[in-house]
Amino acid sequence: METLQFDDLIAPADIREYPVSLTTTEANLTGSWKFSRPRQAKKTAPCRDACPLGVDIADWLHLLVRGERDAALHRLRAVNPLPASTGRVCPQFCRRACTRRDHDAAVRSGALERYIGDYGLGVPFPVPASATGWSVAVIGSGPAGLAAAASLAAAGVAVTVYEREAAPGGMLRCGIPAYRLPKEILAREIDNLVISLGIQLCCNVPVDDRMLAELLGEHAFVLAAPGLGGSPLPAGIGAGPGVYRGLELLRRLAAGEVLPGDRFAVIGGGNAAIDAARSLVRHGRQATIIYRRGIEEMPAYPEERREALEEGVEIRLGTIVAAARGVDGGRVELDLHEALRAADGTVSTGSFSDRLTVDGLVAAIGQKASWQPESHKRLLTAGDFHHGPASVAEALAGGRRAALEMLRRRGMAREPAVGPAEIAANPAALAVLAPQPGVDPPRVPHRERRNSFREVCGPLSAEEALQEAARCLRCGTCTACGLCWFFCPDQAVVIDQRGVEPVVRFDYDHCKGCGLCAASCPRGVIDMEEDS
Amino acid sequence: MTSQDPVTPARHVREMLLGSDAVAHGVRLCRPAVVSAYPITPQTHIIETLSEMVDRGELPAEFIKVESEMSAIAACLGAVSAGVRAFTATSSQGLAMMHEILHWVAGARLPLVMVNANRALGAPWNIWADQSDSLSQRDTGWLQLYGETAQEALDGVIIAYRVTEALRVPVMVMLDGFIGSHTMEPLFIPDPGLVDDYLPPYTPVDYLDPDNPLTLCAATAPDSFYELKKGHARAMERAFDVLDKTFAEFGDRFGRRYAAVETAGTDDAEILVLSTGALTGTVRVALDRLRRQGVPAGLLKLRLVRPFPRWQLRHLLTGRRRVIVLNRAVSYGAGGILTQELRAACCGMADAPAIHDVIVSLGGKEVYPETIEEIVVRADELSPDESVWRP
Repeated sequence: METLQFDDLIAPADIREYPVSLTTTEANLTGSWKFSRPRQAKKTAPCRDACPLGVDIADWLHLLVRGERDAALHRLRAVNPLPASTGRVCPQFCRRACTRRDHDAAVRSGALERYIGDYGLGVPFPVPASATGWSVAVIGSGPAGLAAAASLAAAGVAVTVYEREAAPGGMLRCGIPAYRLPKEILAREIDNLVISLGIQLCCNVPVDDRMLAELLGEHAFVLAAPGLGGSPLPAGIGAGPGVYRGLELLRRLAAGEVLPGDRFAVIGGGNAAIDAARSLVRHGRQATIIYRRGIEEMPAYPEERREALEEGVEIRLGTIVAAARGVDGGRVELDLHEALRAADGTVSTGSFSDRLTVDGLVAAIGQKASWQPESHKRLLTAGDFHHGPASVAEALAGGRRAALEMLRRRGMAREPAVGPAEIAANPAALAVLAPQPGVDPPRVPHRERRNSFREVCGPLSAEEALQEAARCLRCGTCTACGLCWFFCPDQAVVIDQRGVEPVVRFDYDHCKGCGLCAASCPRGVIDMEEDS
Repeated sequence: MTSQDPVTPARHVREMLLGSDAVAHGVRLCRPAVVSAYPITPQTHIIETLSEMVDRGELPAEFIKVESEMSAIAACLGAVSAGVRAFTATSSQGLAMMHEILHWVAGARLPLVMVNANRALGAPWNIWADQSDSLSQRDTGWLQLYGETAQEALDGVIIAYRVTEALRVPVMVMLDGFIGSHTMEPLFIPDPGLVDDYLPPYTPVDYLDPDNPLTLCAATAPDSFYELKKGHARAMERAFDVLDKTFAEFGDRFGRRYAAVETAGTDDAEILVLSTGALTGTVRVALDRLRRQGVPAGLLKLRLVRPFPRWQLRHLLTGRRRVIVLNRAVSYGAGGILTQELRAACCGMADAPAIHDVIVSLGGKEVYPETIEEIVVRADELSPDESVWRP
């Protein structure tokens, strides 16, 4: 090959043999081309946002994964003092919000909460802060009352809890059957709470208006969280032999009473109706739930509904009990009518459809407050008494909120609010993560369940718990997983390994603002903002 | 020289294998870190076998599955830019789909080896042997090596890695579709240690490295661009020498001797037949028969098409009366592609022989020894100015 001998325009030293730059190109600040820049921000995980208590689930799970079981327990119990109980009965709003839900399976936060809660049954609460010199009386030892008592006692407030029943727990004890929450677990959990935090608990003490006035005189605040009274009977149904209210039935069954008859009808579609029917089945009775709307409209938790059907509970939908009469032999005769749906969704009684004779009729159609104390600026309310029937988590949250309000009014610093906050979410980015569905805790087969009040759901082993906890993505928290580093086309994501935990930084001198880091972050902690 | 059994007892395994499996073994012995390919008949067996080797751990490589040949070659471009040995294989429409990236790999002066199982380009649809696919890519800047047997394809892959890493010009190794890829032949599979000695681990220079960021293939001003292309052209010129030495060293170590142009029976021949690929086997039979009938015609087996070995061919053509070029690819409106190449090589040569352009087969049209014999015997009747198509 020949070349013409001209003075070369390009000297050999000015060019490589291949199309490669002569030196490092770091000096070329390509970051100056960008019009948007990534910003990393800690955000609230969707599960925390969904939790009425605002538990930072990712936080305590991470402590568990790191092997700091006690730290995990105390972090959780600082917000939720009854994890062994809620781990069993909470409807787990968190799981419905879990980012992994549609990817493989939502993190089993309930089973994990139960795991750490069971461990905590033998671990005292941390020593309370030094005494504040003021006191609070709490009426009711249900979840709302106990949550308030725990928060206040931990802050050094002297707390006395008054319970009208013989043992503490409120709805957790009277309203939730043992196959969902064993009585001894509840008792041990409350004992540990009360004893290690130095809470005064007075059982068999109902509070009336006169006593309330005395309590207001003795204490800085009074919290009324006594729950609700009995269910009213539906129209057309009078009190009489063989007619029970839902909670009353549960209480009598739990006390070991043998109710006469084989066949029972339960009116209602909520958890109380399901609990009543499943408890009757466990006593060898036939139970039929009669509900006016469709199955998807039942307020009961879907899992409870499914388990009830597995255990042989019959559910009649779109049906209304229009009348009930006592007949010979202490039995009850029911007139069943079709439920008519109006366009606006309201239901009214339609034409007669069937007649049913049962040995017992249970009305489980909601509770009403049975006490109306006069309002007072130092009387706060919480739990079902405050907001009507709701979940245990909502009751705990209400109690805790009331306690924090009291601390605030006394000028004691309260922790920062959880919301409103930016919620981390980027489910699309999960496509790069291998599905890892984990395992469900064991369940007693339904044939065995029907004959016993043994707990339906089993525990996770320590190993399973660690594996399950490790599935938590920690949405809203950068874990330096490196996906952004992998996808960055400009090597502008830097994982700084110098500290105890690696940290992600952006090299804004070379970041061109393409946004791939934000799009690829499965924890949703990177936002693109306009570059000035 | 022709391919032959080892003259020295080189360490090897003797096995009866499909041509496509032979290629896979050749690739395995070269230990690429990345294999990316997309299936297409008649090449599919090659990458199927490679993917199984990767799966079984016999080839510790990253097998990147892709959705097209365009992505396969692009993945290989990325791999070699990052400084590792890579491999891909394709055929026909697949090679055509890679066209744009073929230029890019060569222009970037990156070392890459690909095997192309020669097959016709549609339309109409046809999956049989034809060189239109690779010869229509001859201007992409790749070195092109054609083989007669599966053994030549297997050895060709090993040789190709040596050449591409020495020159930084990518190499395309050709094997005839079906005739080469889907028939079995007894093969020497070299001992891995022997190949490791011949082809040491690849040491990249100027590759993508976050700790020393470089720009590869940035926008280049006209003067610099021209210089870089001049460098590519120079590398192609150096390729003759590099290839000769690489072939020679391969012969010494493995006992099989190859050359850019191989010959048979040329010493006393006035007529030469130029052939490529598996067709050469048929030509050998035809020329043996003709010699027994007293017609001494010689064989030119062209292994290297890019760079085109023009000086070697001019030397071999000196003093001959005519040369018949057997084409399996046509540039429509200009005749057989190899004929044009040879004519260009001989341009200005004193006493050049008559060069006959024969379009002997397209899309797998069968070529029998009688076909070749008849063409050679009737060569006097053929006009050297017209393309000859078979009836």
